[in-house]
Amino acid sequence: MEALIRLSFYSFAAASLALTLSAIFYILYALGRVRVRQTALTTGTGTTVIGATATREPASSGMGGLATTLGWIGVVFQGAAIVTRSIAAGRLPLSNMYEFSTTFIFLAALVYLIFERWYGVKQAGAVVMPLAVAMALYVWSLPVSMREVDPLIPALQNLPLMTVHVSLAILSYAAFTVSFAAAVLFLIAEGRRISWLPSPALLDDLSYRAVTIGFPAITLVLILGSVWAYRAWGTYWQWDPKETATLFTWLVYGVYLHTRSLRAWRGRRSAYILLLGFAAVMFTYFGNYIFGGLHAYGGV
Amino acid sequence: MAQISLERQVSKRSPLEAGIDRVWRFFCSVRAAVVEIVILAVLVLIGTLRGSSVPRGIADHVPGTGGLVDRWYAWDAFHSLPFMGMLTLLAVAIAICTVNRAPGIWSSIVNPTVTTTHGFLSNADLSARMAASDDRDAFAARLQEALRRRRHRVLSAERNGEIHVYADRYRWGKLGTFPFHLALILVLVGGVVGARWGFRDDEFIVPEGVTREVGHGTGVSVRVDRFSETYLEMGAPKEYRSDLTLLKDGNEVKQGSITVNNPMTYHDMVVYQSGFGQAVRIQVADKSGNLLMDDMIPLGPFQAKNNPDAPAGVLDIPPAGVRLTAIAPDTNPANRPDLDDLNLRSGQMYLQLRPLTANAALSGTVESVVNQGQTTRLGDLDVTFVREKRFTVLQIARNPAVPIFIASALLLVGGLACTFYFPHRRVRGIVSAAAGGGAMVTLAPLARRDWSGQRAFETLLDGLERDLGLPIERVRREHPPPDRAAATRQEPATT
Ligand code: HEM
Repeated sequence: MEALIRLSFYSFAAASLALTLSAIFYILYALGRVRVRQTALTTGTGTTVIGATATREPASSGMGGLATTLGWIGVVFQGAAIVTRSIAAGRLPLSNMYEFSTTFIFLAALVYLIFERWYGVKQAGAVVMPLAVAMALYVWSLPVSMREVDPLIPALQNLPLMTVHVSLAILSYAAFTVSFAAAVLFLIAEGRRISWLPSPALLDDLSYRAVTIGFPAITLVLILGSVWAYRAWGTYWQWDPKETATLFTWLVYGVYLHTRSLRAWRGRRSAYILLLGFAAVMFTYFGNYIFGGLHAYGGV
Repeated sequence: MAQISLERQVSKRSPLEAGIDRVWRFFCSVRAAVVEIVILAVLVLIGTLRGSSVPRGIADHVPGTGGLVDRWYAWDAFHSLPFMGMLTLLAVAIAICTVNRAPGIWSSIVNPTVTTTHGFLSNADLSARMAASDDRDAFAARLQEALRRRRHRVLSAERNGEIHVYADRYRWGKLGTFPFHLALILVLVGGVVGARWGFRDDEFIVPEGVTREVGHGTGVSVRVDRFSETYLEMGAPKEYRSDLTLLKDGNEVKQGSITVNNPMTYHDMVVYQSGFGQAVRIQVADKSGNLLMDDMIPLGPFQAKNNPDAPAGVLDIPPAGVRLTAIAPDTNPANRPDLDDLNLRSGQMYLQLRPLTANAALSGTVESVVNQGQTTRLGDLDVTFVREKRFTVLQIARNPAVPIFIASALLLVGGLACTFYFPHRRVRGIVSAAAGGGAMVTLAPLARRDWSGQRAFETLLDGLERDLGLPIERVRREHPPPDRAAATRQEPATT
């Protein structure tokens, strides 16, 4: 039991290292390299003019491949950290900020890597992986006592509901992180033709697809949360700050889904809404630090 | 063209008609919906921050905002008129928008326009060309067969010597936004029904062995047969459990035990475990045997100095001018026995009387430890520790809107799943006879600036290539980035 918890922590440490390296390689890959292209032009009078243009291109695919491989290694270690801790605790690690964040790192990296395969572009990793690393740093900064497995207080003792409700919340945050990353790249790429970034149309679509994962997930979080509240507190909705922060996040992504169908709002403005949406996610995530209320357990 | 004739029509209408038309169009507008949702979101944010330290922080750092921040903390945004107003507005907008859009979407599913133009095909971001040696009709038939095999519905029409082909997939997915949006209204309806016809009792206290009526016209009573609590080694509570019997009009109808996350349901009424407490029944009589008090004193923690963490309770007895303090034995293993001067054993109770007024029945503080059922003389008073009793704190709620909430949850999730995971994929094409014999087709998806749609089209092309055994030429057209193109057009996209 103790050994498993320690093993879980070492796994997390290994994942932190792999993800940090992965983030570095993703950034190097996305920043690309300057390549000088020479073009020879023959003019009408027969003179040959050599023109040189400097362009940026994605860095060598080797670097991108390394970033991806390290990312998967990080995911595997992080997954192992979760599995060992789950065995030790008899439940998934979802009940305090240490556990919650461990799972977030895992899902953010995993969802991103799946999208990377799906779309065949790697540049968004330069945003997602550093965010996963930042979350890992946050976990390292938490008090050591949180690494221990504590029993659940009575209000949390509903394993199936807790597991689904909380893991869907983390899944939605992970998906929204990916859509945020694509929106950032979109804002850099849009309007200009930047050779080292994927096309804005692809980035826009990637953001949207990530939201089509995150939005149903967060809708389910609200639904299951109210089912749980009804079972535990006798009411579907308490206007508790964590609930209403989630509602706020849900509404922001609702706005995004609508603006995407308004021509004038599609593109840049929708991407800005995704930035706002991500801010709302972070607000909900770290809300425990500023809210009282019924969700205040979780050990912060 | 359509725009001009519409304006003429409008100008012929009476002002009333024009007004109604304007209101109708306001409610149908997705842009107005966006503004409404934004306002709602801002209200939700204001209400959320009210539960946090953020406004305080603003008041501390920005001079002159103190008054505003106090108003912020005082304002219950979620039960305010603007909030209710926005919810109502959105519900009306959704209803009207649904009525407005449904027929058009329905006919675009059931009766889509089959024919297209060469202009559309050559302007598409991505199109495909295929040439075959068969004649026009044979090739068109082969193509349609291949599309059908790829799970497409295929429609065709002949015009000007050419065969127009329309193929689509997941055409019902488009309808998903209707259940989704209607479920949003249903959630609000559920809220109203619950508030109007349901009830919720937060502190329904029943001592062990006692039966209490629920009221609210239910005719149901709750009897607590037993209450038990267990602690973990460390002293954190592990479980509270009440064994209950429900009675309807005096007859036992249900029996069972409840814990914090496992309530008991009876029809649409639910009984929850919420907390518990301990109470002690004390009788106080004066010298001549007149009963001055016979009451239950609830015991809570942390009240007395000589046993700071044991359950204790205080009650004033005005007829005698005294204050009674009772301290029960400390049963919680987390509590610190070293703080405990009294060393009470189970079944004992520490009782203390203190004068409150000058003409009290005693001159100084008197105390005693008594066993259950025993009477002790304190000053001029006889005090009896009748018995100790535990009470359970229940919550009882009835919500007739439960089926409405279940239905809306299913519609929300199902509707989203249809919209997002079964997007309507459409392909148009024209088959024509080639000049030198044989036939050719140009195909394009309706997927402008829709990267996934184009990718689905490419996958379809790969399949057609294999099925028909013909090479396909793919043509890509560069369009300006979405935002640039967008700036010139303001109307909502049609789907
Ligand atoms: C005034 C009320 C509302 C109106 C008039 C309205 C209208 C619409 C319309 C016309 C669409 C279709 C857009 C398209 O064809 O792509 C749509 C889609 C959608 N709406 Fe609403 N809506 C309203 C309220 C809401 C609210 C409150 C939410 C929840 C946040 C919401 C969530 C959605 C979602 C998730 C979609 C699907 C987007 C998609 O198809 O890609 N709507 N809405």
